[in-house]
Amino acid sequence: MKTPCWMKWLVGSWTAFLVLFLYVPIICVIMASFSKSRFFKFPYSDFTTKWYDKTFASPAVEGFLSNSLQIGGVVAGFAIVLGFLGALAFVRYDWKGQKIYQKMILLPIFFPQAVLGLALLLWFTYVGIIPNWWTAVLAHLVWIVPIVILVISIQMYGFDASMEEAAYDLGAKRWQVYWEVTLPVLAPGVISGGLWGFLLSWGNFPLSAFTTGADSTLPEWIFGKMVGSYTPMIPAIGSLIIAAVAVLTFGGFFALILMRRRHAR
Amino acid sequence: MSDASHSLDERPTRPPPPVIAPPGLVRRVAQWFRQPGVLNALPVLVLFVTGFGAPLIIVMEFSFLPSRTFGYHGTWTLENFERIFSETFYISYLWSFGMAALTVAILLVVCYPAAYGMAKLFGKWSIIVTFLFLMPMFVSENVRLFGWFLFHLPRSGVLAGIIREVFGAEDIGTLLYTPTSIIFGLVYVYLPFVLFPMTLGIAMIPKDLVESARDLGASRFQIFREIEIPIAMPGILVGGLLSFVLAVGAISESKVLGGMSVITIANEIQHEFTYAQNWPMGSALATIMIGVVAVIVTFVMGRLDLDALLGRK
Amino acid sequence: MAEAEAFLRLTKLTKQFGKFTAVNGVDLDIREGEFFTIVGPSGSGKTTLLRMLAGLERPSAGDVYLRGQRITDVPANRRPSCMVFQSLALFHHRTVGQNIEFSLKMRGVSRSARKERAMELLDMLQLPVEYYAKNVTKCSGGERQRVALARALASDPEILFFDEPLSAIDYRLRKLLEVELKDLHRATGKTFMYITHSLEEAMVMSDRIGIMREGQIIQIGTPNDIYTRPQSRFVSQFMGEVNVVAVTASGDKLEAPEHGTSLASPSERPSGFERGHLVIRPESIRFLREAGEAENRMMGVLYNEYALGSRVQYHVRVGEEMFTVEKLREQAYWGELNDEVTIGWDAKDSVLVAD
Repeated sequence: MKTPCWMKWLVGSWTAFLVLFLYVPIICVIMASFSKSRFFKFPYSDFTTKWYDKTFASPAVEGFLSNSLQIGGVVAGFAIVLGFLGALAFVRYDWKGQKIYQKMILLPIFFPQAVLGLALLLWFTYVGIIPNWWTAVLAHLVWIVPIVILVISIQMYGFDASMEEAAYDLGAKRWQVYWEVTLPVLAPGVISGGLWGFLLSWGNFPLSAFTTGADSTLPEWIFGKMVGSYTPMIPAIGSLIIAAVAVLTFGGFFALILMRRRHAR
Repeated sequence: MSDASHSLDERPTRPPPPVIAPPGLVRRVAQWFRQPGVLNALPVLVLFVTGFGAPLIIVMEFSFLPSRTFGYHGTWTLENFERIFSETFYISYLWSFGMAALTVAILLVVCYPAAYGMAKLFGKWSIIVTFLFLMPMFVSENVRLFGWFLFHLPRSGVLAGIIREVFGAEDIGTLLYTPTSIIFGLVYVYLPFVLFPMTLGIAMIPKDLVESARDLGASRFQIFREIEIPIAMPGILVGGLLSFVLAVGAISESKVLGGMSVITIANEIQHEFTYAQNWPMGSALATIMIGVVAVIVTFVMGRLDLDALLGRK
Repeated sequence: MAEAEAFLRLTKLTKQFGKFTAVNGVDLDIREGEFFTIVGPSGSGKTTLLRMLAGLERPSAGDVYLRGQRITDVPANRRPSCMVFQSLALFHHRTVGQNIEFSLKMRGVSRSARKERAMELLDMLQLPVEYYAKNVTKCSGGERQRVALARALASDPEILFFDEPLSAIDYRLRKLLEVELKDLHRATGKTFMYITHSLEEAMVMSDRIGIMREGQIIQIGTPNDIYTRPQSRFVSQFMGEVNVVAVTASGDKLEAPEHGTSLASPSERPSGFERGHLVIRPESIRFLREAGEAENRMMGVLYNEYALGSRVQYHVRVGEEMFTVEKLREQAYWGELNDEVTIGWDAKDSVLVAD
């Protein structure tokens, strides 16, 4: 059954509309960051970059930025390792309890984040830990590792496991099998898992809000400012965040396409 | 000797398999443990227990303590739960669940055509479209909601400004600070969470099934109802479930866009934990939420075949 | 056969998965340099058996000996054998050359020596030298088979195992590769162990064939043995359509109760034969003219005919059963469909099986 042309156009336009819809607020934020006036009014004619200068100069912002980066980096690292192992268990071996494991490990995703954040806060206080950026790392991991497991598992499903057996049969030791076959082939999946881990952690608010303690992240800072008084520094920082995300996702996207080309399936 | 076929006397009867004694219980547990699947799953499971299981149990335990307790032990009581139902707290539950349900309903309808396009129509463009949908997700939701705030601002906002320049109309009112804006925000934030699972679900519909149904005389609508929806159901369920559960726990939309015209349950919980300094109450509110979510999730997940959805052959 | 002569010996080899017995106490002797094929339907256990021999599965019981040495517990990466997998399992993230050299790399052979050997193999398997640096995914189906073979041969293993490598290929290419495999076997002189579900394929290439069913090997013999002297209906039916008539012993002759006639018996009978089946191959039957002679005759109606290139196949309805007759085109039946025909065969062209 051929889909009629007009339906394709309809679906295509609707999808384009949704994409645009998704980007409208982003565009608004970017626009607002260049307005000279301290109050927001649209449209405006005075352009300036002074808010950006203020942002770069602000030590407070620097602090929050470094917290976000630190947490994001550590989360990405742990997420890659735990996600890779977890994905191996998810996809392979046909072991007893695998079905239960598969359902269970995804539960943290299907959970209201703010409630999880608060629960973790309670838990940390119960155990006697004062929230700091390490507790935030744990909080992020609880939610992010299952997602990374999913991302890597989807890649793993397409992996022909007999390649590993062949390598073994040809004389490779167990670690050589991993080194020569498993990791190189799964590298794109694992790297994209790490990228997901970093980006999701970087932009997270509900979990960070309750578990970072004094080491607040950028999203927390922005939230505080938003419900307080307006200053164009907010959209300025917002725009920088958008820029950082754009660079990372574009970069990651193209890197992955290149890797796929080289490893053509 | 083995050259000529086995003597015609030997009939192919089946000897009983050699008896290998089953190992004892301790041995069996140890053997289960040493399976590669279990070993690989262990680190994640440790994370799961310490970061997910334990906190939830603590929360549930705390909900039974009298209000204003800060120590961890006390006499257990149901007073928190009584208060929830006798005072206004339950209104927040109704609002949160209601808004989440409405959000999911809207999203299911809105996303289906796009998901269909991504799974079936766009071909090579699907990857780019996926990427475009994905990118905003990584920008903190606060920033994006703030963008909508700027958009909807009365008089000085982007929308107001456009209408003023184009139509010359002033002061048309605003969506902000109303429950509608919260729904708007929820729909916006959780759109990708419905879109992607739905796309996976629709991708499971085999093309020749649709064609043969057509061949057998089914109309477009009948194909949609009898074939596409049932087969794509796992994806639709996952998308709906995910967005519902996350929307129920939404905390930012009501503050940034709704001006607290509606107090969601997540806001209540946060309030109890922070300003009211009433941890047991906050825990009780959270426990009910966890309970309802757990029931819904278990029910839906129990009926799902994850392997099929994720593409395992 | 004396103990010392058996090259590869399996004794009571068994594999159980939980309650399911995949391989049930198999005994087998393989000679050095022979092309031995195990034929069986899916689920018969042949893949499991092969994997145990390659070292990829641990037997539940039983042993494997190579030249008298027990190798049952030796892991796959230390056995002097290499396997060609069903999916070929080529490393698609590596070039042809890197695939071929893999086993040598694992052994620490120097780069130049590896390349020399790879070139040697490319030549032996008739692959162009330029392919050395080519990515395997860019090769055609037949080329990939050859790369897989080259890879398996690189370290000069004593035994090569083949796990149905030709089952997913189209007919024409398969026929080509069957011949190439047999030629390769002759050229290298190595021991080849092959598994397949197609007896036809096995007949083309093998020195000896073992028929496997439900975890056991029920008949071993040369292709000719299997074809002309099957020991059970199961084996006889492996080669496609055969004619099977239920018979009981009646002195020197046979009674065919379903046809109400008496038939001449082949001289070889399973000892103590009382009842079983008579198997007649389609090409052993002929159409009899009025005056034609044959030891056994049946009357029936010509139901349909099928052109098979150089041969023609006929289905003749005899009573409740359908007989299959196959003749070369030059000896095609002279009449038309729905004719009443008499078919016949000589007793020496039939086989008695006891089941």
